[in-house]
Amino acid sequence: MIEICDIRKEFLVNNSGARSLKTMILWWHRRKLQHHPVLKGVTFDVKQGECVAVIGRNGAGKSTLLSLLARVYKPTSGSMKIHGRVAPLLELGAGFHPDLTAYENIGFNAIILGLTRAQVRERIDKIIDFSELRSQIHAPTRTYSSGMLARLGFSVAVHVDAEVLIVDEVLSVGDYEFEQKCVRTIEEFRNSGGAVLFVSHRMDTIRAIADRCVWLHKGVVRKIGTPDEVIPEYESTPLETDEKR
Amino acid sequence: MLGELKELWKFRELLVTMVQRELKIRYKNSALGFLWSLINPVVTVLVLSFVLKNFMYDNPPANISAYVLAAYLPFIFFQLSLMDSAQTILTAMPIIKKIYFPREILPIASVISNFIHLVLAMGVFFLYLLAVYIVFPGDWPLQINTLFLPILLFISFCLSLGFSFYISALNTFYEDIKYVVGIVLWLMFFITPVMYFEERVANSDVNLHSRGWVYMIYNFNPLAALANAYRKTILAPPHVKINGVETKFLPLNWTYVWIAAGVSMTILVTGYATFNRLKWRFVERP
Repeated sequence: MIEICDIRKEFLVNNSGARSLKTMILWWHRRKLQHHPVLKGVTFDVKQGECVAVIGRNGAGKSTLLSLLARVYKPTSGSMKIHGRVAPLLELGAGFHPDLTAYENIGFNAIILGLTRAQVRERIDKIIDFSELRSQIHAPTRTYSSGMLARLGFSVAVHVDAEVLIVDEVLSVGDYEFEQKCVRTIEEFRNSGGAVLFVSHRMDTIRAIADRCVWLHKGVVRKIGTPDEVIPEYESTPLETDEKR
Repeated sequence: MLGELKELWKFRELLVTMVQRELKIRYKNSALGFLWSLINPVVTVLVLSFVLKNFMYDNPPANISAYVLAAYLPFIFFQLSLMDSAQTILTAMPIIKKIYFPREILPIASVISNFIHLVLAMGVFFLYLLAVYIVFPGDWPLQINTLFLPILLFISFCLSLGFSFYISALNTFYEDIKYVVGIVLWLMFFITPVMYFEERVANSDVNLHSRGWVYMIYNFNPLAALANAYRKTILAPPHVKINGVETKFLPLNWTYVWIAAGVSMTILVTGYATFNRLKWRFVERP
């Protein structure tokens, strides 16, 4: 379902901050754009019905990888192919407008993810029931807690007929019961042929739902395998500090 | 560009929703709501007409506020679309960073929502004209030419959208753009015949001395050509005496309208191309 082939992503880092005329004139000799490679050639794939977890330390490129798959960025080089509709869940309440009610936001988010307005009308009740937030559905989302936003976001994402679900550490803010519900839903989603790619720092969750584990380290894949193969090694690798580099 | 348009068509449902949302949010936390988009032109025109009638014209045409409004409503549409478009990408940055959709939907939705306000304001304007006609029966306010109004609205829309593409894309990288736009729009108000008639330009000394060049260049400005066209298609030529002489009003010169249409289309196409070239860099802006 997802084929990622030697993908690279570089960001241009501007060390003098925003470019204004003043800084251009004053600091022209110091201002240089630095290339900051985040992903240095990543290759792996996710098959139909499979659930793959991406692990790695902060700054390893996990979120960049997921953003590339969500088509937020264009890769610097390399190719990726995704078959089917993608529902990315990159952050809680991404795309939720704080002044609109949860009800209006559900509709809006579902349409960005590819539903038509008629389909939204059909499904909105199911989505609200899934989120278990019916009593506050007409309150603006700025009054929502982070857990409630995660519920709302997840509920929309699993109801848009996506074939590929991309989840970035969203589920860890929900309460235990909702997390269990999400795990069950992901299980059903896979059984119906969908593929899931997710980032998590919770090794027990990964052991519970992932078939395979991709360990990203400083922009390259360090190890791919079943969670039981990868996680012990990952956990026993000491955290590198800046001084050691 | 064809590929981009196809992609845009695929996301048409999102565009519709975005416009609805824009209309909803704009006056969400205000008591008067939609009325605000009418209050602005009404108050401005009241003040302008008072000043024009009492301090600037010796023999002002009757119902001068209608003539001002006919040109001011399209102008304020242009102004608001450009000012709003400057911020569209920046305010949507949290969404842009998390999810994919054709970015051009943002400026397009912003311009469409302003355009809907223009059309509604035009509707209210026609009601006003009708009310004036009933209270002070005189010339029937509308003309057969008023049927051309949709063409003019379409040209205005394309012009605003084209500039909005440029401004929203460029302002994302250089926020100076919105200040430049603010100043240029402010100056535009004076070189566009909103609070005076183009006949004043045609009969001005500087124009006569330059053998008509000033008037011609003046009309190359699409905003000026459009303001004239709106005024002359919607309303009958007014009866005015300048220096005691009944002054003849120029008929609408369609050449300038077509030039404005050509300019608008060029700006629309090049603006869209520019926007598409820059849109992938929005998320990575330094």
